[in-house]
Amino acid sequence: MSLSVQQVRMDNKHPTVKLSVHPSRALMDEAFVILVQNVPPGSQVTLHALHRCEDGHRWEACAHYVADSSGNINAADDCSVGGSYFGVEPMGLLWSLKPVPGSKPGLRMRKKNVQTPMVVTISVFKGHHTEAFMDQVPLASWVVERWYMAPGVRRIPITEQQLTGTLFLPPGPGPFPGLLDLWGGGGQLMEYRSALLASHGIASLALDYLTSKITTETGKMVDNQYFETAYRVLQQHPQVLGSRIAMLGLSLGTVFTLKMAVYSPVVKLRCAVCISGSHIQPVSGGPQQMMDLFSRNFEKISFSEQDEVIWRGLLLPIPSDPSLKVDVGRLQCPLLLVVGEDDQNWCSHESATDMKQMMERAGNDQLLTLLSYPETGHLIEPPYTPHTPSSMFRGAGVGQKMRVLWGGKTPEHSAAQEDSWRKIVTFLRRNLYGGSDPHAIHLSHL
Amino acid sequence: ILTPSSIRPAPLLTATPVRTLVDEQACIKASFLPSNHPVTVCARMRSDEGDLWQSFAHYNTNSRGTFDLNSDLSVGGSYSGCEPMGLFWSMQPAPGERDGLRLRKKCVESPYTVHISLLEGHVSPNQEPVKELAAVTAERWYMAPGVKRQEIRQNGLVGTLFIPPGPGPFPAMLDMWGMGGGLPEYRSSLFASRGYASFCLAYVGHKDLPGPPNTINVRDSYFQAAFQFLQDHSHIAADKVGIVGLSYGCYLTFHTATLAGVKPACLIGINGPVGSSREILRSLLSLKHILCILQILMKPLVLMQLEEITCPLMYIVGEDDLSVLSIENADLETLRAAGKSHLFTRLSYPGAGHLIEPPYSPMSRATFIFFSCSVMTVWGGHPAPHAAAQEDAWKKMLEFMELNLRR
Repeated sequence: MSLSVQQVRMDNKHPTVKLSVHPSRALMDEAFVILVQNVPPGSQVTLHALHRCEDGHRWEACAHYVADSSGNINAADDCSVGGSYFGVEPMGLLWSLKPVPGSKPGLRMRKKNVQTPMVVTISVFKGHHTEAFMDQVPLASWVVERWYMAPGVRRIPITEQQLTGTLFLPPGPGPFPGLLDLWGGGGQLMEYRSALLASHGIASLALDYLTSKITTETGKMVDNQYFETAYRVLQQHPQVLGSRIAMLGLSLGTVFTLKMAVYSPVVKLRCAVCISGSHIQPVSGGPQQMMDLFSRNFEKISFSEQDEVIWRGLLLPIPSDPSLKVDVGRLQCPLLLVVGEDDQNWCSHESATDMKQMMERAGNDQLLTLLSYPETGHLIEPPYTPHTPSSMFRGAGVGQKMRVLWGGKTPEHSAAQEDSWRKIVTFLRRNLYGGSDPHAIHLSHL
Repeated sequence: ILTPSSIRPAPLLTATPVRTLVDEQACIKASFLPSNHPVTVCARMRSDEGDLWQSFAHYNTNSRGTFDLNSDLSVGGSYSGCEPMGLFWSMQPAPGERDGLRLRKKCVESPYTVHISLLEGHVSPNQEPVKELAAVTAERWYMAPGVKRQEIRQNGLVGTLFIPPGPGPFPAMLDMWGMGGGLPEYRSSLFASRGYASFCLAYVGHKDLPGPPNTINVRDSYFQAAFQFLQDHSHIAADKVGIVGLSYGCYLTFHTATLAGVKPACLIGINGPVGSSREILRSLLSLKHILCILQILMKPLVLMQLEEITCPLMYIVGEDDLSVLSIENADLETLRAAGKSHLFTRLSYPGAGHLIEPPYSPMSRATFIFFSCSVMTVWGGHPAPHAAAQEDAWKKMLEFMELNLRR
């Protein structure tokens, strides 16, 4: 039974409770401060976040607080004692968002339209609750917008030379450093990370290399020239500084990032970032050959107790055959590797260790920065993205969806997203904006 | 000396946050510039009417090739010294734009889009040639997400109601402007963005009001109805309704508080006539500057003596207010004798003019007002102290409202 507003008026004799969230409009990687004021000192309240994603699913999170002697709660300073997260977590209400009970299983939150914000309603309720929020009237609510795109960032679809991608240009005359942004085996054109990087001054081209228009029409996968073409398009753009281009890949995207970085005569990277990936691959092959390698190793798949697919064994053991892994000892630009030690989808941790050893043996390990996060899974996304330990996933070109285990424990994984993103942006800024010697910049003190 | 752009990327100019409410600060910084280098920061935006407003300031980068408006000094341009928000409040109509403009947002549901550029050297943005090094776009909003805007045309009332997000009930303000007429919504939308329901009320110069537009054709009952409307509203707490007014709206604020059935929780008056009718008439006869015809058409004034107040009252005055109505007859002895001095708060700002607006708004020393007048009204005020007054007054107004409408 829901309380009417009239009843609430009788119960709340004074409209005293004040909830503010600042800033109310922010970029996706900016923190906010949630303040509750004028609740009875020492009283129990619940902070609640509600978001309806583009697919129509509802996501929520809650946290239990106790007001101080002034009747105030500051989520940036105070401890949550229950709910979706514990302890002092200023942004916990965002990263601990989970689908509401009764939702379709295996959901993952990914924004497709980056030109509109993610809208979240933050509310404060009397008492400590963990459910049935829709049946109660909150003491107060506020609405926040979370944006992937800063105002003035230009979104430009790229379709020339059979590419399928979107270029995001920062505002201003440029020239801007550029970045080629590759996602993983699910394919599609995911724009949100590029939109966010352009909001930080980097012209970023999100590239669909698995489900591009040409592949959808011909049924054939693109080859390595596709990445070189994308690099050239970026390099030749009048507002991009061709000598300052980076590549950033996650999961399968790291395979081609490393391949291009080491072997391509065309792609000359200022620096590279590889998240949750590996150097293990048929070195001379392209996307099709990589998919064939996965198919050949199919029997190395295992399953969790909940029947979630674990793919981390597919590329193990680390081969010693040089034709089966990128020779990172030949890398000439700074490389930032980001791995989760609980990655259940790729053997990213083992690969990173092997890459480090190869570079130490070759004597170029001063180029390497390795960020390795305990209890962190595969999907290391921009900060405050709700952690997805497993979800329904269909690899590009594969017939059916399956429930895939990505790994990670939510609080540690969320902290890793926040820390790694800050370091990724710093690494990119220092290498792409700073310095004059293209080989000298690295971040060993990260 | 800048190296050729083919070797280095453009410097990085940032504004944080890029989307703010109009009463929030945005932090503007630049990096990856040569060290100890002269640069100009320029801000440009278009008003709802399409006029171009701009400002600029000269800075020097430090030894690391950066500068930060929060800590560094402007050495020339539209303002000088350390002014984190100087680019916003010092904006003026660009050369070649129309005379006598005043910046007032008509559509509060859309932001001002401010283009902030970094230019090479210490230059004026209008001198050619100008080399733009970098740019960032900032949005300045009068409405927070989730605030609801409702046009109110009922019981003869003409106004717009802004309700904050959430279930309520909310404290509320009745919001009135001056004899310029129309229906400025932007202060009310900002109050709602701070958690107060706010109803801006038109009483003159609006097409939906009865009678000729250049006279006040509504009576006391109109203002009583407006106050009652707020008290009766299902999302508003009846015992937490205040009134705020600027200029003639200040007179209306205090006058409405004396009407039967009106029990405000607090009052805020800005640069308006307060005191005995005798004093008002005297000031009308000793005009300092050209008086707008409409002010002469005002109804005879019967003003509340300050000692009649029954609720907390904040009175805000700009000491450089050159339009005639800002006189005050706050006789503190009388107030003390009546046991009411604790209710009265007076904020007085040297160098501030008549139009004390929400913070960081550009000021206009003189503008044309209304539809049928081509008379210039001088409002007074000097940019830097006026800007400081707006910032401080707004903060104190919100604290005053917090104290009297929430506790």
